[in-house]
Amino acid sequence: MRKLLLAGVLVAALAPTALGATRSDPGVDANSILIGGTAPLSGEASAGAGVARGAEAYFKWVNAHGGVNGRKIDYRYLDDGYDPSRTVQATRQLVQQDKVFAIFNTLGTANNLAIRSFLNQSKVPQLFSASGATTLGRDFGQYPYTMGYIPSYAAEGKIYGQYVVKTRPKAKIAVLYQDDDYGNDLLAGLRKGLGGRARQLVAKAGYDPTATDVASQVAQLKGSKADTFMIFAFGKFSLQAFFAMNKLGWRPKITIVNAVASASGLMALPPAKSTEGAISIVFTKDPANPAWAKDKGVKLFQTVMRRYYADGVKSGYAAAGASSAYTMVDALKKAGKDPTRASLVNAATHLNERGNPFLLPGILVKTTPRDRFPVSQLRLQRWHKGHWNIFGKLLVAKP
Amino acid sequence: MARRAFGLLGFLAVATLVALAPHWVSDFRAFQLATVGIYFIAIVGLNVLTGYSGQISLGHGAFMAIGGYTTAILMANHGVRDLWTIPLAALVAGVAGFLFGIPALRLSGLYLALVTFGIAVSFPSLLKKFAGLTGGGRGLNLFGLPQQTGGGVSVKLARHELTNNDWLYYLTWTIAGVLFVLAWLFLRGQAGRALRALRDSPVAAASAGVWPALYKTLAFGISAAFAGVAGSLLAIAVAFVNPDTFPISLSITLLVGAVVAGIGSVLGRFGSYVGPLAGASLIVFLQAYASDLLRWIEKGIPLHADPKAPGVPAVIFGLVVIVVMLLFPAGVGGVLDALTSRLSRRSY
Repeated sequence: MRKLLLAGVLVAALAPTALGATRSDPGVDANSILIGGTAPLSGEASAGAGVARGAEAYFKWVNAHGGVNGRKIDYRYLDDGYDPSRTVQATRQLVQQDKVFAIFNTLGTANNLAIRSFLNQSKVPQLFSASGATTLGRDFGQYPYTMGYIPSYAAEGKIYGQYVVKTRPKAKIAVLYQDDDYGNDLLAGLRKGLGGRARQLVAKAGYDPTATDVASQVAQLKGSKADTFMIFAFGKFSLQAFFAMNKLGWRPKITIVNAVASASGLMALPPAKSTEGAISIVFTKDPANPAWAKDKGVKLFQTVMRRYYADGVKSGYAAAGASSAYTMVDALKKAGKDPTRASLVNAATHLNERGNPFLLPGILVKTTPRDRFPVSQLRLQRWHKGHWNIFGKLLVAKP
Repeated sequence: MARRAFGLLGFLAVATLVALAPHWVSDFRAFQLATVGIYFIAIVGLNVLTGYSGQISLGHGAFMAIGGYTTAILMANHGVRDLWTIPLAALVAGVAGFLFGIPALRLSGLYLALVTFGIAVSFPSLLKKFAGLTGGGRGLNLFGLPQQTGGGVSVKLARHELTNNDWLYYLTWTIAGVLFVLAWLFLRGQAGRALRALRDSPVAAASAGVWPALYKTLAFGISAAFAGVAGSLLAIAVAFVNPDTFPISLSITLLVGAVVAGIGSVLGRFGSYVGPLAGASLIVFLQAYASDLLRWIEKGIPLHADPKAPGVPAVIFGLVVIVVMLLFPAGVGGVLDALTSRLSRRSY
């Protein structure tokens, strides 16, 4: 009897080794890879939910076509209502209860920063965060498991500064910004881009990300007599800014709106008078833009969305999510037949991805262990008659 | 005598259960049970105020926030170790509650409820206003600070290696046990009698020599101090605070928890600790698993509701509270008190 028991214990102890399962980290089994994240499915910033849903749709498409090295990707995203304290709790649940392999595509700057120490302490990769916070790509010495995806906000701000210096050297600039790490990052980049002309930044007004309205800030900025207006806002706040401009009859010579607020779906909502001629940057193919109608990547995107997320067919947020999901699939493939958290981070820091179908042609998604800004090329675009028109050549956007 | 023995036995059984729980549950479940302990403390405190002195507070979330921010600011900006901030949080919140209790003397019933709700509504905006101190909307991160015991990984306690979540569990429930006994000691004697007399008939109590102002403000202070400890522990457990950690709805949730627990359940009886335990568990688990509950209900009754839709947890929460109130108007604690008193009477 005792021998039988001993044999049983031995078999139980050896079985996982025989299956090769002991070598992988949590969240990976023979058939699937479980990754998790959070997104604002409800609340003020719920427009951003498209980023998670677009990524989910692309993973489902990949799963239907064989998955990654024979494993299906199970992407579990929870609602945080854009509230960092809920991001913390939801992420803890994903890591400690659901045992996800990695955190992917969590949306929001404050949200990503609130979970960064926890994830690095737990050695869980925090990859391709849907935030352009410069610190996500810069401070890898302290946080080696963390990495963003989109061009850093500092780089974006810098490009706007350089653009203004080139096209209207005498411009007087007023900035509406979200008063957190995200808005301040853009502002710092703008100052850098303006260089010696930083004094031309004549007025700035911040708003709290939990505020209800920004109309009074816009009125205050109009009062500064600036002729260039920059909107460093997110979701409904950028809409409110355009509506307030229209109501106040303010027509600056140049209006700049930052990338995450510039989805075509949002830009089409305010009165056309206020949005006409607005400038922004772009790095994904805008599925709402007829200029891309014949593009192979956009066609693939629309096929995927029609099948798995019908509301996302024309959504720029869904396109952004799909582009980072594409890179995630790439990184997971490179992480080896039996991926570990370490091998995934290694793969994510050795990306050399040409031809991501959802990014602008010519953009190279490249990282090294010392350069952790995956998408760092972009172009400028101008809003005209209900569509964005890309102009100028591909620019390098490094903070 | 038999009744005493019965009570002691019950208490010991529940205490043993609480002490051994982390051995049977997963790491994450231990964290959830730690938050149950946090709400347990707040509900016991609220019971001192609402149950004993009859003052309704819809603003206890704000006192939790005061405790939570005391801990967070001391840890993040002044380098104080997390454990030492807990008594300080109790002190700060207690003094705030005592001071608030003075104007509250002039108000009663519905008016007091409205004014306290005013605190709950305005407090998050106050926190955002003083962003230099509180970090504003982006909050304060405590995870991985040297002031955090165990640095968020694991804690060595008398040669035992505890995971962070097990540590939080034992920390919360030890404090909860101590505070429960303190509340019992405070209320079993003269103070408890005076408070109950004031609740039932202020005029009669005053003419019998009870000083209403002293006891009512004292109840407010003690109750707020309990909330402060709960807030402090929540800040330590989540290791992050921002105004949304203590939303307006928290105050209402706490009162609902207290009502489910059984307002005024006599401390010391079986129902007085099992009741708050039930109320706190309801807050934590119902909110976390409301959509799962809806999915389960859908199997029997096709409601065609989307379990992922926002707002579903709140609706389910409300429904369950209505059902509990219809079935047990005296709360879980009241039902248990009635049951156990009948049982112990029979054993006489």
